[in-house]
Amino acid sequence: MSKLNKTGTVLGLAAVMGVTLSTFALAADIRIGITMRMISENGQKYGQMVMDEFDMINKAGGINGNMIKATLMNDECKSDKGVANAVKLVAQEKVHLLIGSSCSSVTLPIVDVTSKAGVPQLVPHSTNDKITKKGSAWVFRVPVSGRYYAGVNAKYVGENIGKKIAYLCAADAASQNDCEAMQAQMKAQHGVEPAYTAQVQEKEVDFRTHMQKIKNANVDGIMIAALAETMARALIQSYEAGIPASVRRIGSSSASNSPVPKIAGDAAKGVFFAAAYAAADTRPIARMFNEIVKSRYGINSPDHDFSQAYDLVRIAEIALGNADLKLDSASLAADRTAIRDAIAGVKGYQGLASGPISFCAEATPQCRDGNRTAVLIAYSKGGENYKTEVLARVTMPIDFGL
Amino acid sequence: MGFDYSSLFAFILFGLTIGVVYGIVALGISLIYSGLDIVHFAHGEIYMFGAFFGLVFSNQWGLPYPVAFVLAMLCAAVLGMIIERVFYRRLTKGGGGYTVAGMGMIICGFGMSIVLMNIAFLIWGAGAEPFHVDLGMPFQIGDITLPKSYALTAVFAVTLMTVLHYFLKRTKIGLAIRAVAANKDIAYLMGINVPLMISLIFGLACGLAAGAGVLIGPMQSVQVEMGYLMLMKAFAAAVVGGFGSLPGAIAGGILVGITENLGAAYISPNHKDIYAFLLLILVLMFKPSGLFGVVARVKA
Repeated sequence: MSKLNKTGTVLGLAAVMGVTLSTFALAADIRIGITMRMISENGQKYGQMVMDEFDMINKAGGINGNMIKATLMNDECKSDKGVANAVKLVAQEKVHLLIGSSCSSVTLPIVDVTSKAGVPQLVPHSTNDKITKKGSAWVFRVPVSGRYYAGVNAKYVGENIGKKIAYLCAADAASQNDCEAMQAQMKAQHGVEPAYTAQVQEKEVDFRTHMQKIKNANVDGIMIAALAETMARALIQSYEAGIPASVRRIGSSSASNSPVPKIAGDAAKGVFFAAAYAAADTRPIARMFNEIVKSRYGINSPDHDFSQAYDLVRIAEIALGNADLKLDSASLAADRTAIRDAIAGVKGYQGLASGPISFCAEATPQCRDGNRTAVLIAYSKGGENYKTEVLARVTMPIDFGL
Repeated sequence: MGFDYSSLFAFILFGLTIGVVYGIVALGISLIYSGLDIVHFAHGEIYMFGAFFGLVFSNQWGLPYPVAFVLAMLCAAVLGMIIERVFYRRLTKGGGGYTVAGMGMIICGFGMSIVLMNIAFLIWGAGAEPFHVDLGMPFQIGDITLPKSYALTAVFAVTLMTVLHYFLKRTKIGLAIRAVAANKDIAYLMGINVPLMISLIFGLACGLAAGAGVLIGPMQSVQVEMGYLMLMKAFAAAVVGGFGSLPGAIAGGILVGITENLGAAYISPNHKDIYAFLLLILVLMFKPSGLFGVVARVKA
């Protein structure tokens, strides 16, 4: 009898342990590493939005019963910090998916890290063409590539503004790419060379010499390709130099960031740029999103970096839901591959982006630049309560700019 | 097509307006160097703090710009005196220049720079803040449009330099400061309160940096990282003018400002910051003591 009791107890314990272990197995974490530029107030909010959205998924029961464990790191838009973050997340945290970075100059070297380690990488904000041209099988871009933006800008500028364009290009990777692509498109579409071009430091503060020369050149438009704060300063100084409002100011993709109208004030009025999302979008999903951002982060007109952060989480959610994940210590490489293949399987995602986002398996820009629809936006009012208006929406051919 | 003299005038004017700001910061650096034999590497951050003080007084508290300018200078002066008294005093007691304490002072300056930058980051965040000063329509001089903020910068800078000159040359405290700058030991023997004068020199230099920050704010907006590049340019100005020479600092600043603007206009606009340092190298090669010829010396 006592032997039977002992056997029963052992079996009972084994059953309890089995149930416990299986519960643990069911509730295994999906590890996601995030590295973003969080040195500005908005930068911190983009990162926070990604974390909040993952938190909401967890509160709703996770993905197929698995919780998301997200680790957010700040790379300050510095390549060395971004690479260090990526290495830590990939090698030490052993993440299943890496999200990053906001800056092209940081994303470019991270692509090499994820490619070597075999970790799927979702790019939240970076627009530089070269990111997907590297041919990594592990990288997927949620935002619109710079090659599409340049095509849309050049078409609009050539047809509506004029062909005599001056360029001020900051030294960061995204701005350089935006400038070069725009110049190439102006030449390809309209056969014109730049009327004036100059490279400025990433954080240049004094543009007066350039503006005086641009004023003397009697141009139709000025393209300012720079990060938000630098662009805002250049816009202000363009008016201080006496360049009239009739000379249209064209922004690079970072013109979408709210510091531009906030710092530039009245100088932002009339500036237009290609972006992935317009806060003036009237679709119900866009109105709902604007409300979410306003209530959570106190931002009235969210820029496309917010919408791209949101879309990225939705795409990750779809892919993780479709991936066959084991999530044990032996399955890390297989899980990473499954997530990559699941992201490649995302087709026709309709979110906040102005057009559908689709990926495919080949490691080519055609497959990995998922978003091809740019929306042309202009600031109708600058300052704290800035306003935007939509000028046009264009979906570019898949091979455009290659 | 003839040479465009109007543009040349504009480039020189732009150089002058930014140059006087470099000069004011360089003046503070030279003042500290001549008084304490140390190079203050946190001076760029004092300039940044000054700009933020001005921004708070002017844009948040709604005070008139000139009042904000004076208050920001006073606040930065007090901040500088506290920093000198609490952190630098122990090191400067051991001597400056090429002494071990002098080296410690340089390292301490770097540390203070990082500390101040992080404090500013915690208070004001990393983003650029617009410094709106409504001065009305710009001046129109022929083809050149000159915003009033640029003209104001020149006026404030000249006023500041005149007041400083009067203070140093015509007041007893100014005489005492010059005595301490010339020789601290003899100044002690003459009954001058040397520690107090050193605090005053530091406060004065920090006040000047803050003034420069408030002047530059409306032209370039205000940001935590704004101090580094200004410090580099101010060093270049101080060396070009002659390290330790007060008129030299101003002349050096104006020369640096004009050189970089003319270089960007007529040589290549792509790397504007290089010209200031090219000028610095040329001066160091052909006149190492700087244009105003202060003989480099090591004090005991």
